[in-house]
Amino acid sequence: MSLTGEGLQPSEFAVTAARAVADCAALGLREQARHLANDGLLGVIASQDVGGLDLPLAFAVPVVVAAGAGLLGFPLMEALLLGRALQESLPRAAEAVVTGEMLATIAWQGSVRAEREGESIVLNGWVARVACAAEVDSLLVRIGTGAVALVPTDSEGVVIEDASGLDLTVPEHSVRLQGVTIPAASVLPASTWNLLCSDASVLRAATILGSAEVCLTLAQEHASTRRQFGRALSYNQAIRHALARQKLGLEGIRHAITRSVGDEAGALQRDAAFLAAGVYGSAVSEGALQIHGGMGFTWDVPVHRHLRRVRALQAQGEASGTMAALGRRYIDAITPASDAAVSG
Amino acid sequence: MTVIEITPPEAATTGELSGEAYRVAMRRWLRANLPATFRSDSAAFSLPTLSQSIAWEAAMYRAGLAGITWPKAYGGHGRTLREHLIANQEIGALAIPESVNSIGKELAGPIILAVGTEEQKHRFLPAILELRDVWCQGFSEPEAGSDLAGLRTRATRSGDTWRINGQKIWTSGAYRAQRCLVLARTGPLEDRHRGLAMFAVRLDAKGVRVRPIKSIDGRESFCEVFFDDVEVLQSDALGAPDEGWNAAIRVLEIERATNRMYRSWRFENELRHLISACKSDPVLAQLVADRHYEVRFGEVVVDIEVLKAHVETAVDALANGDRIGARGSLAKLHWSEAHQRFAALALELLGQASLPPLPAVEQARRRFEAIYLQARAETIYAGTTEIQLGIIADRILQLSKGK
Repeated sequence: MSLTGEGLQPSEFAVTAARAVADCAALGLREQARHLANDGLLGVIASQDVGGLDLPLAFAVPVVVAAGAGLLGFPLMEALLLGRALQESLPRAAEAVVTGEMLATIAWQGSVRAEREGESIVLNGWVARVACAAEVDSLLVRIGTGAVALVPTDSEGVVIEDASGLDLTVPEHSVRLQGVTIPAASVLPASTWNLLCSDASVLRAATILGSAEVCLTLAQEHASTRRQFGRALSYNQAIRHALARQKLGLEGIRHAITRSVGDEAGALQRDAAFLAAGVYGSAVSEGALQIHGGMGFTWDVPVHRHLRRVRALQAQGEASGTMAALGRRYIDAITPASDAAVSG
Repeated sequence: MTVIEITPPEAATTGELSGEAYRVAMRRWLRANLPATFRSDSAAFSLPTLSQSIAWEAAMYRAGLAGITWPKAYGGHGRTLREHLIANQEIGALAIPESVNSIGKELAGPIILAVGTEEQKHRFLPAILELRDVWCQGFSEPEAGSDLAGLRTRATRSGDTWRINGQKIWTSGAYRAQRCLVLARTGPLEDRHRGLAMFAVRLDAKGVRVRPIKSIDGRESFCEVFFDDVEVLQSDALGAPDEGWNAAIRVLEIERATNRMYRSWRFENELRHLISACKSDPVLAQLVADRHYEVRFGEVVVDIEVLKAHVETAVDALANGDRIGARGSLAKLHWSEAHQRFAALALELLGQASLPPLPAVEQARRRFEAIYLQARAETIYAGTTEIQLGIIADRILQLSKGK
C-alpha cells in the first residue's frame, strides 16, 4: 500500500476502526451510523466536498477488516461506497451518508425496469441481497444493465420482504418496487455500477479477511487450551497441519488484497482477491468450527457467525458466476494454437 | 549439435536501465535470442542438449539475466531484488527450459555469498554464472531425507585437509555437475544439527562415484553419490565447521521465498499454452466453452494470482529489510499444490481431444505429461508438504507441542 501525499498509511485506520466497531456492539443502527461517522469512518473514500477524506480504496480496507473481525451489524461497505458514488450527482445525499444522518444500502442482486414520466422515473421490479433494507432510509437499485437509482425506502410502492440468508448480524432482504416514482435526478450514470462492484470485490475480501483472522485466532487458542487424551489438541499433527493450512489460506487472502489495491491492479486482481477470500475464508471458518467441536455451534463462540457472514458475502458477490466469468474472459483472450509458440 | 546464435548483450546500455525500461530491454533480448527449439510451447521444440543449455544460460547471464542481485565484484549485476523480480517475470512468460545450474545459482551461490571467504567468492561465483561450474546438492541421504539432521556422511579434519566418507541420494544432475554442495557431519550423530559443515566438493575428485537412478520421467536425472575417503582442502570448506546447519537454514529461508521467482509467470505461460492448444481442437474448444471448465480455469487463474501475491509481498518485505522467516513455506506450499491441481486438469482435458490428434495437441500433451510428472515431485523436494505444514505450525503459528 502506498503513502498518500499527507503521509497517512492505511494501517493507521485499523486501530480507530477496531475501537469504533467494538463501541457499536450495543447500539442501534442509527446510533452506529453516527458513531462511525464521528470517527470519520463512513467517508474514508468520499470527497472532501461531502465531508469525506478523499483517500484511495486501500484506506477503506483496514476499516472493513475491523468491521468483519468485530461482526459489525452495520452495512459499512455499502455506506463507504455510496458516499463516493453519490458525491457528484447527489452531493446532499452523499453528505448525509458520510455524516451518518441517512442510512443507505445497495441491492446487489437483480435489477428493475424504468419508465420516464415527465421529470420523474417510475421503477418496477424485484431486487435481492439488500443488507439491512428494513432499517435504512435509501437503497441503490440497478436499472436494467445500465444506470442505477437511489430510492427512498418510504416511497410508495416499496415493499421490503424478509429473505433467507445465513448472515444474522447483517440480515439481507428482498425488495419489490411496484410503480415507485423517483425524480429523474436520482438516476446515476451507468459507469457507477461497475465501479461499485469492482470496489465491493476488494471490500468483501477485506471483510472476509477480518472474519478469517478471528476464526484462526480462536481455533489456535482452543487447540492450545482444550485438552483431550491428556494433552492439548495442538499436540496432534492432524490438528497442527489443519491449522497450518488455515494460516496458508489466511495469508493468501491478505496478499491477494494487497495486490488488488496496488498501482497496477485491475479487474483480474480484484476478482481474484474476492474469489480467493471466498474459498479460503470459508475453509478457515469451517476449519475453525471443526476444531471447536460442539463449542463452535454455541453462541458463546462467534466462529459460526463469521462462517455465516463469509458465506453470505460469497453469495452476495456471486462468487460462482464471477469465477466462471473470470475463466471465460481468460479463455476468450487466448488465440488457438498455431505453429508459433504461444508466448509470443 | 545445433549452433545457437545469440545477439551480443547490450550490457553497456542495459546496465544503466531501471524499472520498466529494464523490463522492456530484458523482454526484447529474450524474445530475440531464445531459440524456437528451446520453447516447449512451440511446434519446433526439441529438448536441448547439455552443451546447448550451457551456451544459452551463459548468454542469459551475459545479457544480465542471471546473478542479477549478486555484487558486481563477484561477477553479478548488482541490481535490486525488485529488478530480479522484473527479470523473472519476463523469464517466466516464455517456455524456457529449466536451468541446468539452478543449484549453483540459487543455493550454492547465495550460501557462498553468505559464509564464503573473499577468495571463495571470487573463485566460485563467476564460475557458477558463466556455467564453467555446474553444481549439484548433496544434502539428502538414505537415512536422512526430511530429517536432514540425521545425516551420516562424515567429514574429518587433518591439518588443512578434510576427508569425506558417506553417501548422498536424490542428487539431481550429479552426472553432469562439476561441484557438489555437500553437507557433512564433523561430530557424533547424536549432535543432530550441531557439528554439520558444508563443502564444495569436486566431483572428479578421487573417491567420488556417481550412480544415476532411473526416475519417473524415464530419464536418469537424479543420482546416488558415494564419497570414499575423498580429500577436500580447507579452502573448499564453506563457513566455519559448526556453522553449516545454521548457514543452510538462513539461506534456505530466503531461497524458499525467492528461488525460481519466475514460477508464477511460467505457470501462466503453461495455462495459456493449454488453453491455446484446446482452442485449436474442435472437441476441446467446445469443452473449454462449457461453464464447468470456465470455472475450473477461473480457479487456476485465482491460484496463479494468489501465488503472484505471495511472491510480490515477499519481495516487498525483503526490500524493506524485513526478515522473511518461515514465510517462504507458505508460498512453497501454495505453488506446489496449485501446480499439481493444474497439471491434473491439463491431462484431463487433453485426454479428451479429437482423433487423430492435431500436432498442436500432441505437442501440448508431451509438455503437460512431463509437467504432470515433475509436479508430483514439487510437493516432495525443497521440503515436503508435511514438512512445510510442520514449519508453519511450529514457527509461524507457534503452536504448543507440549503436554
